Amino acid sequence: MSDFEDRAEVLPSPVRKRSFLEFLTSERNFKWALLIPLLVVLGVFMLYPLLYSAYYSLQAWGGSGPSTFVGLQNFRSVLHDKAFWMDLRWTFEALVICIGAELAIGLSIALLWNREFKGQNTVRGICLMPLLVAPLVLSLLWNFMLEYDFGFVNTLLDWIGFHRIYFWDPKIALFSICGLTIWQWFPFATFVFIAGLRSMPKDVFEAAKVDGASRWYTFRRLTLPMLAPLVMIVVMLRVMWLIRLFDPLYGTTRGGVSTELLDWLVYRTSFVYFDVGVGSTLALISLFLTLILCCILFRELMKAMGVIK
Amino acid sequence: MRRRLVLFWLPTVIILLVVLVPIIWMYLTAFKSPDDIFSMDVRKLVIFTPTLANFKRLFLDYPYLANLRNTAIIAVVSTALVMAVSVPAAYSFARWNTGSGHLLFVTISTRMFPGVVAALPFFFFFKHIGLLDTRLGLTLLYLYFNMSFATFLLFAFFREIPVELEQAAMVDGYGRLDVFRRVVFPLVRPGVIITTIFCLVWAWNEFFFAFIFTRAAARTATVMLSQFWGSLEIQYGPMAAGAALTILPTLIAAWFMQRYIIRGLTFGAVKG
Repeated sequence: MSDFEDRAEVLPSPVRKRSFLEFLTSERNFKWALLIPLLVVLGVFMLYPLLYSAYYSLQAWGGSGPSTFVGLQNFRSVLHDKAFWMDLRWTFEALVICIGAELAIGLSIALLWNREFKGQNTVRGICLMPLLVAPLVLSLLWNFMLEYDFGFVNTLLDWIGFHRIYFWDPKIALFSICGLTIWQWFPFATFVFIAGLRSMPKDVFEAAKVDGASRWYTFRRLTLPMLAPLVMIVVMLRVMWLIRLFDPLYGTTRGGVSTELLDWLVYRTSFVYFDVGVGSTLALISLFLTLILCCILFRELMKAMGVIK
Repeated sequence: MRRRLVLFWLPTVIILLVVLVPIIWMYLTAFKSPDDIFSMDVRKLVIFTPTLANFKRLFLDYPYLANLRNTAIIAVVSTALVMAVSVPAAYSFARWNTGSGHLLFVTISTRMFPGVVAALPFFFFFKHIGLLDTRLGLTLLYLYFNMSFATFLLFAFFREIPVELEQAAMVDGYGRLDVFRRVVFPLVRPGVIITTIFCLVWAWNEFFFAFIFTRAAARTATVMLSQFWGSLEIQYGPMAAGAALTILPTLIAAWFMQRYIIRGLTFGAVKG
């Protein structure tokens, strides 16, 4: 706001006619001029969906014909819907399983690889590969690998002498999905932690060694506290990605056998049943859940970058 | 000494196998005949007569190449748009803290929005203006989808450039545009390249929006592959061939970007 007032004082009568480019690149306007494209895109792609969802969450509409105003009826029906609570629970379970496993595996491997060794670049290059592969393709691949009759895993189990496992049994299907997600994402936690371990000040550890601290004590009292901010970042980013888990479901169970997660419910309501009212309501609820998270994560990221203390 | 070596290399090799075997197995399957694919004999996992039949079928019986072309065009165009929007914005955020953090927060929050929040409104909007199942429609969605990520990552790179350099250039009589073009941009170029590759990879891999917004004409490779699973008789051979080809560029990107992947995935907060 103060920008506009200042400008009014400084530019009462331009001595010569300034070109538009000069106007944009002037000291005061340049930073806003740089933002124009971003603000335009944000305005269109953020405000429109938000207003739309807010409007249709109060309407009953099947995707065609006129809609009717129903007040908070959609919210009521969502909150009374058993499927919603089940999906919320499964989503939460998937979050806990995946993040817990990724942190544990990541930390173990990070401690193992926290040294210079021959071929470390090759090892890193190989391990980082799954991170950039399309999750959908990986889910198709794993679906194929876990196939009961001729899938790689079951062929191998059979050969070793174990029973074949039906991985899409409703009892364990959610674990199978978590499994393939963990397979793809454990390198993320691993290499974040390795980066953290490498950047730790060496003298503190040497001092602890001189003082005769045991390795376990050093780990608990020095390493873990210093890794805490990174753990926070990993957890936050993973929650953010996992809460929208969709691709791995499409390539495997398609929301069946007790694996329907929140995002799939929104998709099913919106694009299979075309219940726009309830779909918008669900989308808003899902958005609200992520937004809380987003605030915390943003602070953590800015802290890690040293922008804020 | 020997024991320590074993304790180190045994887990390391197991980890590498866990990561590599599924990928290798997919590439092997792409070259197998149906008999070898459906064999329960464990020897057939590695010993078989390679054939190119799967690739031939993929190219001739399915619109794979056309769909891959869609993927490539959409990825390249959307990334170009993203960079055009994000580079100036990130510079503004990093140099002047424009909007004192609030605008940057709004920007990054769009990346965290569940995709479905945008999908439903834009589905009906695109239907109305005829953008459903067009490359332009999906390109615009990817602009929205990648813009916030790119802006935040570039923000981290721009922050590393010392202000003094710019001030020195200004003293030498450079205008704002020249400072950006001649001083700042050359320094931030590696960051721009990394961000570009990330945006390309995300757009290449994207499935959710592509699945909802395209049907035939603008269908992307991931959507085409997803249709193998769920058809009555699943064609595993062509599916493996298609999957192997589709992920090849991203595997190569991962190999050459290994130093920067962690940095990118943490929005620039952790230097890998």
